[in-house]
Amino acid sequence: VNQAGSTNLKVPIASTTLANGLHVVIAPDSAAPVVTVGIYYKIGFRLEPQGRSGFAHLFEHMMFQGSANAPKMQHIKLINSSGGLLNGSTSYDVTNYYEAVPSNALERVLWLEADRMRALKVDDENLKNQRDVVKEEVRVNVMNQPYGGFPWLDMPPVAFRNWANAHNFYGDFADLDAASLHDVQAFFNTYYLPNNAVLLILGDVKADEGTALAAKYFADIPSGKTPPFADPSEPAQTEERRGHVEEKFGTLPAMAIGYIMPPRRTKDWYAMALLDQALHGGRAGRMYRDLVLEKQIAVEADGGIDDLFGYNGPTQLTTRIMHKPEISTDATLAAFDEVIREIQQSGISEDELHQLKVKWRSDYFATLEGGRGGYMPKYGLMHLLACFTLFDNEPQLVNTILDGFLAVTRENVQDAAKKYLQESQRAIVFRTPVASAKEAA
Amino acid sequence: MAFFATQLAVGVPELAAERPVKWPKRTRTRLANGLEIVLAEAHSIPKFHGELVFRSGNSAAMHRAPGLAELTATVLRTGTKKRASRQIEEDLRRIGADLSSSAGADTSAIAFAGLSEFAEPLLGTVDELAREACFPESEFERERRQKLEEVKLERTSPGFLAGERLRKVLFGAHPYGTVSPSESQVAAYQREDLLETYREFYTPENALLVMVGDFDSAAMTAGIEKVFGAWTGKKPTVSASAAPANPRGRRVYLVDVPGAVQTQILVGCHAITRKHPDWVNLGVTNSLYGGAFNSRLVMNIREDKGYTYSPRSGVHPMRQHGYFSVSAAVRNDVVAASLTEIFYELDKLRSLPVPAGEFADAQNYLSGMFSMGLATQSGLLSQLATIAFNELPDDYLETYRDKVRAMTPEDLLATARKYLDSANMQIVLVGDRREIEAQARLFGETEIYGAQGALLK
Repeated sequence: VNQAGSTNLKVPIASTTLANGLHVVIAPDSAAPVVTVGIYYKIGFRLEPQGRSGFAHLFEHMMFQGSANAPKMQHIKLINSSGGLLNGSTSYDVTNYYEAVPSNALERVLWLEADRMRALKVDDENLKNQRDVVKEEVRVNVMNQPYGGFPWLDMPPVAFRNWANAHNFYGDFADLDAASLHDVQAFFNTYYLPNNAVLLILGDVKADEGTALAAKYFADIPSGKTPPFADPSEPAQTEERRGHVEEKFGTLPAMAIGYIMPPRRTKDWYAMALLDQALHGGRAGRMYRDLVLEKQIAVEADGGIDDLFGYNGPTQLTTRIMHKPEISTDATLAAFDEVIREIQQSGISEDELHQLKVKWRSDYFATLEGGRGGYMPKYGLMHLLACFTLFDNEPQLVNTILDGFLAVTRENVQDAAKKYLQESQRAIVFRTPVASAKEAA
Repeated sequence: MAFFATQLAVGVPELAAERPVKWPKRTRTRLANGLEIVLAEAHSIPKFHGELVFRSGNSAAMHRAPGLAELTATVLRTGTKKRASRQIEEDLRRIGADLSSSAGADTSAIAFAGLSEFAEPLLGTVDELAREACFPESEFERERRQKLEEVKLERTSPGFLAGERLRKVLFGAHPYGTVSPSESQVAAYQREDLLETYREFYTPENALLVMVGDFDSAAMTAGIEKVFGAWTGKKPTVSASAAPANPRGRRVYLVDVPGAVQTQILVGCHAITRKHPDWVNLGVTNSLYGGAFNSRLVMNIREDKGYTYSPRSGVHPMRQHGYFSVSAAVRNDVVAASLTEIFYELDKLRSLPVPAGEFADAQNYLSGMFSMGLATQSGLLSQLATIAFNELPDDYLETYRDKVRAMTPEDLLATARKYLDSANMQIVLVGDRREIEAQARLFGETEIYGAQGALLK
């Protein structure tokens, strides 16, 4: 028991691996007649093929375009008409597909997921259609949006040298155009294998029932050769890196500062997670407090670690600042540096550490219950279980990982700040409005 | 589309028998000071979620200035008679709580979530903010200047510009017609305006406290009584606004954003409030039209034609009026083609009966989604707050799905004919005038605006 509170977590979990290598994790909870199903494939945009930027995400769209026994539209129609939701998302190192449905539709969902794991059935017209859809997705989220892609698309080419980490994850349009049906099939054959995936069933299902259904629908899918994963490691960084991006629409100058993170589940990783909260935890966080509330230099100052539990390669702790036009970039960066220097020199008090831990525990519980826009029951638990299975082969970490954060000491936090928040280990992207002086029409 | 419709899935497992939904037990009480309380237990995690809602928002403060209720809610958390801003924020973190204060058109609200073990100090903070906020001059001035930057920034977002123009077109001089203040209006805000708004709106007679989570309702009721019982204050007097005219005939409003590489389409018309007897029927109609992934609009302009990524339609209820809208961000060369399909699907819904299978799919979708929304503390909170705020019947949760299932395809046809008339839809386009003006003019008389709101020529 830690002074920040007992964790006492007992999320019931049953896990097994089928003969074809598919991991299966069941987390039963009969409180509501709803079941959440997810399949995570261990391939994200980081390791998509060179010359095919954006392909992992385009491919994710293709998974909704038809499989051997469920032609185009049927997948979506069958889930919606069962009273359920579905979606997918592509991240750095995983791609997921998920559904939340009334629990009487569980077998239907498993059948659909198994059908598209077994055999994708798509044609050139489907590919052309989804290529168009993805381009509009990029336009609406990035090209036609103030601060679109800032900093998640702006930072990688500045911060990293290995193509895997540095390329455009949403895809250059030329690369999207070059993608062929052959690429789709090859990507599917290489990565979309039962032995490169985990199936998760959460909610209104009994453990033995879930395990039996997983075997019923997935056991006969043949496994494949373990996919060859490119090496995502980076050459050692020795000096600060800077880059500039034009802001086409927005009115405020912005900057993002990213520091290289330690590998997952190391002592420093736990400390960095709490350090992140000390810096970025909302209005109580040091960045917002100093830059927005006290010095009144910035309009926004937040940040974080992209997918703390789900990254499996180089990543950063990033601060994102939008500052007042009358404050110079140098002055803003100097104020940021002062926040960093302060925590490196003086560390954090016992009281602050206590606050951070209570908040961390509270946020962790919230993650277990929801976590994706509030409409997807157990999305957060699903994501944690998937990452702990694919990267750690230990889904039970869901019940124990919290202890690691609650064991962090003041010294750990200060040591991490000194070791990782170094200028030579950071990259900065400046996003500057082209027409900051443009006046009202 | 017929091409797809003929291809059915082979070997799909049938749905099993439905498992019953356990409807959450609610406790409703009213304190002597008028504070209305709705509680529901949900023991999924050792936390609770809550909302203290006041039945007055930006509309009720519009006679002073647009956005005043919003700024009042923002400054509210920056100081009380007992604690300064920094202390409040750190004390919230000390008990693992999240808290936000904001205002919409019809409400001001303090929303909160925290660990069950710290319910008492969190309720104490909510009470302190609702009763003893002191609006320090320096905090007000900072937030006002912050707001100035925000109102400049929001005019660069296509979504904001489209929504703002549609609301103006549909509601005109009614408070619902103004979604955000201008720079000069923000510059003219006075601290006294906020204090006045705070004193008027934030009273127990005007408030509703909804909480969902891991607690014992009887003990929580006693705790609430202890914290909020001594609070006093009357309901503010409400001055009625004249009903907005329902725009007749189709017109186009183009907001010019030079250099835009895509066009934000937003089409809309007047609709209904939550209390209206047609609410459920319009919900099913909307769902089938463009409210779900498996809807006609999405299948047509996304999955068949690839014009857009996220087309959708929705019914937006406010307290006095409501509106229906269709939105899609499309590439510039298919603006006219997209509008044609948007109207084609609306007209089809008014002309041809919906096939029984498709109709049943839409009913199942809404019915399932409704149960799903109750499976998390925050989902249930949002449902209960909606029910209480709109004074819907106590059995609303239990009977909603029956109402969805009682609807017939004939009802849908009648609903579409009553509400979704493409001849009277107002069209807002946010994009580069040079790229889209000719396409816009095909759909009606066209007015062109700048991003700052001025009518151009």
